[in-house]
Amino acid sequence: MERQERLIYLDNAATVFPKPAGVLSKMMDTYRSLGVSPGRGGYDLAMMASDLVMDVRERLARFFGSDDPERVTFAANASDALNLIIQGMMEPGCHVVSSRLEHNSVLRPLYHFQQQGILSYDLVKPDGQGRIDPEDIARAIKPATKMVIINHASNVTGIIQDAQAIGRVCRNHNVPLILDVAQSAGLLPICMREWGVSAIAFTGHKSLLGTSGIGGLVFTSDLDIRTTRFGGTGVDSESLVHTQSYPHRLEIGTLNLLGIIGLGAGLEHVEQLGLDVTRTKEVALAQRLAQGLTEISAVSLHGPAGWDNRLAVLMTNVRNMVPEDVGAILDGDYGIAVRTGLHCAPLAHQDLKTSPQGGVRFSIGPFNTIEDIDAAIFAMAEIGKNK
Amino acid sequence: MSEHEGRTIRRPYIRKIAGVDIMFDGEGFLINPSQWTEDVFLVLAQEAGVEEISDKQWMAVRFIRKFYTEQGKSPLNHHMKIGTGLSLAELEALFPGGIKYGVRRLAGLPDPKGCRKAVGWSAKSD
Repeated sequence: MERQERLIYLDNAATVFPKPAGVLSKMMDTYRSLGVSPGRGGYDLAMMASDLVMDVRERLARFFGSDDPERVTFAANASDALNLIIQGMMEPGCHVVSSRLEHNSVLRPLYHFQQQGILSYDLVKPDGQGRIDPEDIARAIKPATKMVIINHASNVTGIIQDAQAIGRVCRNHNVPLILDVAQSAGLLPICMREWGVSAIAFTGHKSLLGTSGIGGLVFTSDLDIRTTRFGGTGVDSESLVHTQSYPHRLEIGTLNLLGIIGLGAGLEHVEQLGLDVTRTKEVALAQRLAQGLTEISAVSLHGPAGWDNRLAVLMTNVRNMVPEDVGAILDGDYGIAVRTGLHCAPLAHQDLKTSPQGGVRFSIGPFNTIEDIDAAIFAMAEIGKNK
Repeated sequence: MSEHEGRTIRRPYIRKIAGVDIMFDGEGFLINPSQWTEDVFLVLAQEAGVEEISDKQWMAVRFIRKFYTEQGKSPLNHHMKIGTGLSLAELEALFPGGIKYGVRRLAGLPDPKGCRKAVGWSAKSD
């Protein structure tokens, strides 16, 4: 029994799919000729691989408006990067400010280290439209606050936070702002220095159009992060002390070269497409979807009104149905892939009143079409009949 | 019941059905799918509000059991559609509780454990 061929993919907030053919072919071609260990040998091929990695670091630093390519650390994904910075900056007795919109990539490490008695934290609650008031951040900051971690754009509702205003507050309080840009990187301009953002955690497999398994941390030169993982770096091998210079300080073992090549190729594709063009197109499709779903009486839409400060993410439910069943019917009967449940952001769903079962999330990507959206509206109308 | 970060999570529990102790997870799914029998199915279906099992319901449940026994894993959506000849929407309407809490749970498949909070289904779970 083969899976039906037709697929309308509306789960782009999880992973953008498919990837541009040019990205995949660049990965294969480059890796085929250069797939050795970067920074681990003096032969030309290893040096060329090192140069390629450094080139991607430099481009990422520029892309995110940072100032030091050596403070671009590769990680497996945004969750990995967030773990790196949380563990690398926390100190016994410290305090962290974050929000109820966060993904479990932030909530779980904070909860874990709170349970271990290492840190305490406060979660700022967004307003009814999902916006975080920077003044609430200011009020939550204490003398022991070591960092503020905020989700730039929500994977549940798409709401975009005013990172610049939050950055101002953090700068005034001399507390580093860490931005989780898993959803926004590749769709929104991010200007770390200008906005007062000390670090960003990104992943490559969403709107940066790379593959899964690559992401990272970009941080400014005034921030130091402690080493929390130890191993080979290819540098100072005679020493048992982990290399303390950047970028080796936070990286261990052979880098994910294939992923880094893909990230570089994805970044190139994103820049060629243009951030504004991609986001405008995605949001236009989301508006069309929202309009169509609004006309179905059994379908409820959750989240902010309007699309000015929002990515193309739409949270829905169908009356008297569990979200997983809606997702199963969309998949099995209509070939439409969506994500159901709590989307690893349980507190955001609590505030939307969609907990405990969560919702049915439609998330639009750069390759969706009007036909995809109309098919989704039709399918939801059929599912909603007699409900 | 237990509390975790203010959320109620139902614990696994054991019930005796047709003389056999059977362990269920917090959502009312069999923890060990091999403990499923047609007697277990009849009891669970009755509790879900099904008085008499139709031919279509038997067909769907027997397909799922056969698939699970032969493949060692739960059927995907397209397997269910092709194997039963029913659309997913028809399967959703087949039992109270829909696809997940109806047909999959009553057929004794393991809990798919998706990205959501575990909530109980069975009225006689504790």
